[in-house]
Amino acid sequence: MRYQPVIGLEIHAELLTDSKVFCTCQNEFGGSENTRVCPRCSGLPGTLPLLNQGAVRLAAKAGFATDCVVHNYSAFDRKNYFYPDLPKAYQITQFEHPICTDGHITVTGGKDIRINRIHIEEDAGKLVHDDYEGISMADYNRCGVPLIEIVTEPDFRSVEEVQDFVEQIALRLKYAGVCDARMEQGSMRVDVNISIMPVGSTEFGTRAELKNLNSLKAIGRAIEYEINRQAEILDNGGTVVQETRRYNDNHGDTKALRSKEEAHDYRYFPEPDIPPVLLSDADMAEIKASMPEMPQTRFARYTKEYGLPEEDSRLIISNKEFSDFYDEAVKVNPDYKQISNIMLVELMRHLNESEKAVSDLLFSPADLAELVKMSTDSVVSRNAAKDILKIMFDSGKKPMDIAKENGFIMDNDASGMDDIVSKVLSENADSMESYRNGNEKVFGFLMGQVVRAAGKGANPKLIKDLLTEKLK
Amino acid sequence: MALKKLRDMLDKKEISAVELTEQYLDKIEKADKSINSYITVCAEGALEDAKKAQEKIDAGSANAFTGIPISVKDNICTMNVKTTCASKMLEDFVPPYDATVMEKLKKSNIVMLGKTNMDEFAMGGSSQTSYFGGVKNPYDLSRVTGGSSGGAAASVAGGLCAAALGSDTGGSVRQPASFCGVTGLKPTYGAVSRWGLIAFASSLDQIGVIAKSAEDTGYLLNGIYGYDANDATSSKKSEGGYTSLIGSDISGIKIGVPKEFFGDGLNDEVKQAVLSAAEYYKKLGCELVEVSLPSLEYAVSAYYLISSAEAASNLSRFDGIKYGTRSGLGDDYNDLIKNSRREGFGNEVKRRIMLGNYALCSGYYDAYYKNATRIRTQIRSEYKEIFEKCSLLLTPTAPTTAYKIGEQENDPVKMYLADIYTVTVNIAGLPAISTTCGYDKNGMPIGMSLIGKPFDEKTVISVCDRFERDFDKREAAL
Repeated sequence: MRYQPVIGLEIHAELLTDSKVFCTCQNEFGGSENTRVCPRCSGLPGTLPLLNQGAVRLAAKAGFATDCVVHNYSAFDRKNYFYPDLPKAYQITQFEHPICTDGHITVTGGKDIRINRIHIEEDAGKLVHDDYEGISMADYNRCGVPLIEIVTEPDFRSVEEVQDFVEQIALRLKYAGVCDARMEQGSMRVDVNISIMPVGSTEFGTRAELKNLNSLKAIGRAIEYEINRQAEILDNGGTVVQETRRYNDNHGDTKALRSKEEAHDYRYFPEPDIPPVLLSDADMAEIKASMPEMPQTRFARYTKEYGLPEEDSRLIISNKEFSDFYDEAVKVNPDYKQISNIMLVELMRHLNESEKAVSDLLFSPADLAELVKMSTDSVVSRNAAKDILKIMFDSGKKPMDIAKENGFIMDNDASGMDDIVSKVLSENADSMESYRNGNEKVFGFLMGQVVRAAGKGANPKLIKDLLTEKLK
Repeated sequence: MALKKLRDMLDKKEISAVELTEQYLDKIEKADKSINSYITVCAEGALEDAKKAQEKIDAGSANAFTGIPISVKDNICTMNVKTTCASKMLEDFVPPYDATVMEKLKKSNIVMLGKTNMDEFAMGGSSQTSYFGGVKNPYDLSRVTGGSSGGAAASVAGGLCAAALGSDTGGSVRQPASFCGVTGLKPTYGAVSRWGLIAFASSLDQIGVIAKSAEDTGYLLNGIYGYDANDATSSKKSEGGYTSLIGSDISGIKIGVPKEFFGDGLNDEVKQAVLSAAEYYKKLGCELVEVSLPSLEYAVSAYYLISSAEAASNLSRFDGIKYGTRSGLGDDYNDLIKNSRREGFGNEVKRRIMLGNYALCSGYYDAYYKNATRIRTQIRSEYKEIFEKCSLLLTPTAPTTAYKIGEQENDPVKMYLADIYTVTVNIAGLPAISTTCGYDKNGMPIGMSLIGKPFDEKTVISVCDRFERDFDKREAAL
C-alpha cells in the first residue's frame, strides 16, 4: 500500500541571554564541568528561582518572528520527574499558559505550517557515564539554560516541507537574535513526531517521536527510515506502537527508547515561586519595534524591488551579517546586481578561504560600494577591482588608495595609448602579419603585450578598440 | 523580658551582650535536656556574635537588634550552621548562604543562640515528628508544644531565648504559640522574604515571629520584613513601623466574630475564654460584628491538597544525589533515589508526599488539586467580603489546648482537622497573631487569634497588645 506521512515538530532552541533563566550564572556553551553552577540552579534547599526578563523578551521575539499571538499573560508550571541531571526534580516550564500561540510559517509550495505554541523553559544538566569505572557523574552547567520550545501542528506531509521549515525557523531565530540555531552543537534541537496513513485517508496513524536529530540531513534520513519502518509493520498486518525512538546517524536507523506505558506522569501544576509573566501593550510594542527585518521580508525586497535572482537572494539572506553588509553597501551605491555579484563570488570566496566571518572584515560596506562604483565608472577595470578587493580584504585600506598606490587607475588617454599600440605592433610585425592571415588567436597575445607596456592602469576596452582598428 | 527593655539595659550597659548571651546559654544547658527545643545550640558562635555586638554597642552604633539573643527554626538557612529541617534527610546539611531574614538580622549583630526543633520539614502540629526527638511543653513536660514551630515556641516560653523566628504554613507559628502560652505572629504572605526558608508549601509558607508579647513580635518583624529581589513572591507593599499603633485608642474598631469558628469540635473551655476576650474588647468600646466564612468546612481539605501537592514537588529535590542522606543500597540511580528517600524521610513526610502526588496525578488533578484551588479562590473572596464589615477577626487558634504526648499524634486525620482555625489565614495570605487569653483546668494556656487585612499587621499587633496589657499571664514554671 502507498502511505502518506503525517509529521509534527517540537523544536527546542537555546536563548541567547547573557545569564541563565532563573539565576545569574553565565549562559555559555562548553567549559569545564560544574563551573557555571550556583545554589539556585543546583536546586539547594531554600533557594528560589529569579526570572530573567531577557529570556521573556527573546521568547516574545520568537513569537513575533513566527507570526504568533504573543500573550499579555503567561505563567510557569512545574513538570515533575526524577532524574539525576535535574537537581530540583522538576523542570520549570510553561504548560497551561504559554507566552506565544497560533503562529505559522509558509513552506515551499506555499503551504502554511501552523505553530501551536512557543513556551519558555529551563534546560537540564548532563550525565557523563564512565563505563570503565562504572559510575555516572552529573554536570550542571546546562541546568537552567533558557530554552523555548516551539510546537507545530502535525501539518507536514513530506521531508522537504520539514527541512524547509527547520531552515526557515533557524534563520528567523538567528535574525531576531533569539538563538544561534547550531543544530550540531545542540543549541537548536528538533524532535520529529511522525505517523503514516494510507494515501487518501484522513485518519492519522499511531506516531513515534524521533530524537537525536543533529542536522537537516539527519532529519531527512530519519524520516525516510521511519516511514519505511512503519509501512513495513502495517503491510505485515502489525500495529505501530506509540513510543520515543532515538536516531543513530552512523547506522541511519531509529531504535526504541521508551514506550507510552513507560512515559512519566509529569504531575504539572502552577509554579508557586514565580508570579505570572505580564507584558503590557507598551512592552509588546517596544519589543516588536526592536525586531530587525525578517529574512522572508528581505527575500521579497531583494527579488521584487532589487530584481535579484531568487537563488542569489536566498544565498545572501542565509547569513544575516552578510545580508546586513549588502544592505549597507547598496544604501551607498544602489547598484544591486553588481554589489550582489562581487559579494557572492569574490567576497564569499575570500571569506571561505580564510575561514573568516563578516564581522572580521577590515573594510566597511561603503568601501565595497565605492569599489563597485569605481569599476562601473571605468576608474578601474573589472579585473583590477577583483585585485583591489583582495588587498582591501587583507589590509583594510581604502579602494581608491589601493588603486592609486598600485597603478590600477585606468588610463583613458586615447592619444597616449595610440602611440603605445603602434609601438607594440611595430615590434611584433610577424604577429600582426599572422593575424591578418587569419590567425585570430594572436589578438590575445597582442592585447597582453600592450597591457604590459601600458601598465596596470590600462583601459582594456580602449586597447581592444585601438588594436582592432589598427589591425584592419 | 520585653525586647524594648533588653535594648534599654544593653544600651545603658546594665548588662553586656556577652553576659546576656551567657545567661541564655546557661539556661539552655540546664533546661533544654528536658524540653528539647534546640536541635543545634551555637554556644561558641553566639558568644562571638555577642562580643561583636558589644563592640558595636560600645562604639555607640547599636541598633534595635544588636546583642539580642534569639533562636531560629531549623528550616531557615543559616550559613555554616547545620540546617536540618528536623529530618534525617538533612542531618548534616550546612547551607552555604543565609536566609534573607538572617542576613538582615546579622547586619544588626543579633545573637543567634541556636536552631530550634520542629516537626520534620514543618509537617505537623505537635513537634513530635522530629528525627531528633519530640519537643516538650514548658508548662507541662508530659504535653506537646504544638507545631511545627514547637521548638521556637518552647524556647520562648521556657526563657531559652529573647524571641524566636519560626515559619507558618498552616498555623505552625500560631498554634505552638497558643499551646506554649506565648505570642506568635504570622505576617501577610509576601511581607517577609522566603529566600532561605526550606520550602514546605511555597504558596502558603511565611516566616513568622514567636515572642513574649505582641509588641515583641512587631519589634522583631521590623527587622525582617520587606521586598527581596531574591524572592519573586515578596511584596513591596509592606511599610514597617509595626509597633507604631501600640497604645493608640482601639475604641470603635470593628471586630468580626465568624460564627463557623465557634461550632462543633471546639473545646468548651477554649470557646469560653475566646468569647470572654470578645467581651473584653466590647467593654473597651470595640464593636463586635457577627460574620461568616461559609467555606470553612472545606478549608482543611483544600489546605492539605494544596500544601501536600506543593510539598511533594518541593521535597523531590532530596534524592541523595547532591547533598543530604544517601543510601548505600541499590545498583543504579533509580534505586539510589528510592532508597535514599525511603531512609531519609519519616512517615508523616512520606504520607504528605504520597497525598500530594496523588492529588496531582493526571486523572485526579481536576477532582483534587484543581478543586482545592477553587476553594482557595472562594475563601479569599469570602475574607474580602468579611473585611468590608470589620477590620479584624477574633477566633480561637486551635480547637483544644496542648494534649498529652502520644495522645493523638498517631491519628493523622484527627491531627489534620485540628488545623481548621489556622489554615484559612494561609490560604488567603492574611496576617494573624495568636496570644494567650486564658488557662484550662490543667493550667495549660488557651490561645486566641486576631486575623487582619493584608499588610495590616500594625492593627493586629496593637489590638492584641491592648488585650495583653490587662491579661494576667502565668509564666511556665521551669
